[in-house]
Amino acid sequence: MEVLLTSPWIPPEWIKAHGLDPRGAWFAEAARAGAVPEGVCAFAQRMADLARPFSDAPIVFTTACDQMRRAADAAQADGGPVFLFNLPATWQTPTARRLYHHELARLGRFLESLGGRAPTDAHLVEVIREYEAHREALRMLSSWCEARQLAEALAYYFDGSAQTFPGRNGTAEHPDSLPHQAAAIDQASASRRVPLALVGGPLLPAQWTLFDSIAAAGGQVVLNATEPGERCLLPALPPPFPGQRPLAALADHYFDHAVDVYHRPNSRLYAWLCPRLAERCIRGIVLWAQVACDLWRAEAASLREALGLPVLVVEAHAVHAGGTREATRLAAFIEALHDCMRPSPAGAAEGWGSGSTDTSRTPL
Amino acid sequence: MTAAPRQLTLEEWDARHALLARGGLREPWYGGPLGRHVEREGDLRLRHLRFDNSVAALRLWNFLLTENRRLRTARAQGERLVGTMKDLGTVPVMAYALPKLRAFYPDGAWWTPCLMECSDRLLNQAEALGVDATFCPVRAMLPAFLTEKHFPRPDLLVCSTGAVCDDFSAIAQRLERLGHAILWWEIPRRRTPQREEVRCDLPGGFTAPRTQLDCVRDEMQRIGAELGKLAGCELDERRLHAGIQSANRVRRQLQTLRDTVYSAPGAPLPALEMLIAEMLAVHYCSDREESLIVLAELTAEAEARVAARRHVVGEEAVRVFWVNPVADLRAMNLLEACGGRLCGSDFMFTHALDLILEDLPSFEALARMALADPMIGPTVDRARRIGAECRRQRIEAVVVSRIPGASHCPWEGTLLREPLAAGLALPVVEVEIPPVCDALLPTLQTRLEALMETARERRRT
Repeated sequence: MEVLLTSPWIPPEWIKAHGLDPRGAWFAEAARAGAVPEGVCAFAQRMADLARPFSDAPIVFTTACDQMRRAADAAQADGGPVFLFNLPATWQTPTARRLYHHELARLGRFLESLGGRAPTDAHLVEVIREYEAHREALRMLSSWCEARQLAEALAYYFDGSAQTFPGRNGTAEHPDSLPHQAAAIDQASASRRVPLALVGGPLLPAQWTLFDSIAAAGGQVVLNATEPGERCLLPALPPPFPGQRPLAALADHYFDHAVDVYHRPNSRLYAWLCPRLAERCIRGIVLWAQVACDLWRAEAASLREALGLPVLVVEAHAVHAGGTREATRLAAFIEALHDCMRPSPAGAAEGWGSGSTDTSRTPL
Repeated sequence: MTAAPRQLTLEEWDARHALLARGGLREPWYGGPLGRHVEREGDLRLRHLRFDNSVAALRLWNFLLTENRRLRTARAQGERLVGTMKDLGTVPVMAYALPKLRAFYPDGAWWTPCLMECSDRLLNQAEALGVDATFCPVRAMLPAFLTEKHFPRPDLLVCSTGAVCDDFSAIAQRLERLGHAILWWEIPRRRTPQREEVRCDLPGGFTAPRTQLDCVRDEMQRIGAELGKLAGCELDERRLHAGIQSANRVRRQLQTLRDTVYSAPGAPLPALEMLIAEMLAVHYCSDREESLIVLAELTAEAEARVAARRHVVGEEAVRVFWVNPVADLRAMNLLEACGGRLCGSDFMFTHALDLILEDLPSFEALARMALADPMIGPTVDRARRIGAECRRQRIEAVVVSRIPGASHCPWEGTLLREPLAAGLALPVVEVEIPPVCDALLPTLQTRLEALMETARERRRT
């Protein structure tokens, strides 16, 4: 049985260990998409819509934002099997940590009610290792892979298909084949592009055209901090403390490393972004926000002030990005940034990789 | 009862005030003619409102409109100010339990653009700070913090987070980024306990699992400890218990007032004054003892009018339940102009109206109250409570008032409407009220009149 997850901060390992198939809800298609009422977040509406055709596939919503809480209310009113996971907004207190642990245990009971089996510690450890190995591969990939390819690879991870990644032509390929594709990137043109960070909320496969729009305008996404982008890729899981149960270790790891805008304070987001922006010589930020997403939209000014970079807000539309208006705005933004790029002392443009101390980031 | 009940314009009230003053009217130190708030504070909206003509209502308005001044006076006298945000009724109970601490809601600045008819330019300034018109009018709070014209800068800023609306959470986070340190506390999204969980009863007929209650109680204790540090003395069980008893005195008084007004055959007090009176429960408008007096006077006036069968709105008016507070106070006048009267309300803080349990350890009792917040639980819970209140007060129609930009409003209209329409067969209408609703008055009036007509038609059938 598939279980749809609407957040990267719920461990898919826990669902898999129950003998069920976790699937990122970003990649599921609603059979019948409802109209998006004024003021409603299109992503939240999409999640509520998923509850209908997938009535046999339970959906795990989270309390990360008001819109998703209300979407869960709507899905429950429709009678679908819905679990609303209480993600604490605070993260500094033992109380918040305890709340997260409790929620994971409660999710376990929900999974059992669906026919899942409570895992033994040994089985959970096995599943955790499997996921950790996959994440490790993705982390390595993220050190050199082109943003769109990484998004596709992450999609395969979050969508529950661990073994294959999609190629640029849409065919499934083994991860080992990806370096050859990356090698095909024209290094000269890459170094002339303006390195950008794409920061924000859910970016659905239908919206990946945004990467192409940015490239067409002369930019290059070198940091994808959308959901489920690189921001949602947890660091390596440390070995558990002596005597610590694997579920507790898993819960602590997710609780400690969730990086998102809904946290209060959301200083972790900035702590995560800052070194990466510097390391990758990023010149500007494209803030990707759903039309009615208050949490991300309100962050634009703070990102600008705190990070000292120009920010362009691009609003996600219900279906896909890449319209003429977005293209024009992106082009103007990138053009302005391109003009600001100063020749380095060596005379080369300071593009992605050329001014970075992290040479592993330079595209082949 | 001072005169035949009626609603007055500002000019009429000022003339009446002069008459009363000549007749020896005794007022508290913050009293005076209402017109001075227009001249001194720029509260231009008062010119377009209609006010109840009782002396009790005069005191209520003067109490409300002098909060900024009273807060500054308190600070000058050595009191410490606590800015409490979002929880609407919880943290002030703790703050007022401590000596020389005074809590207020910077959230209240959301009415400033209305009161000043946007001449304050707070909304424009909020936009310049990165929070535009797609956010709830509570964004006015953001520049108000920076200018310090509308309330003094608090000594401690506390804000609930978790199951709160996105607008507020985002604006508060922006505020913190602008250099105002915030003490955040977690309020989880209330849920129905599952079979294997320990079930705890909450005020308002809600329930929550023990784990959630423990979480909120721990948070209350954490905030209580910080408030204690600010006050220079510990918020112990004895002090908090006394604070809860005092809070309950205000809540009991307000309950009496609501019961008197909402169950009367005609309205002894208008909707606008009832909205303001209910707001006092949240933080006592920065003076707990005075708010009790204000409410007691209003209750006495309402009781006297009911006894004399003299109403400000007649018995033929449609009995309306109003959901959510209005960004423009004028909307409450409009309800009556369209043939309705307020007989029930959920202004998003019904948990501040319920009595806090006094026979439990105090932090736990407070946590139960916080968890009974109608906005942090499933919308269906809120709809059930509204439904029960509609039955009790023989409500004939429901108005769901949308707050422009608020994250909960686009969803809750449908989620509230369906159970009310299906379970009680009540006509429901949704209206959106911006901070100054003049441009929308014809539309609002048409919608409200249609609702009243529908309700009257149902009377006949």
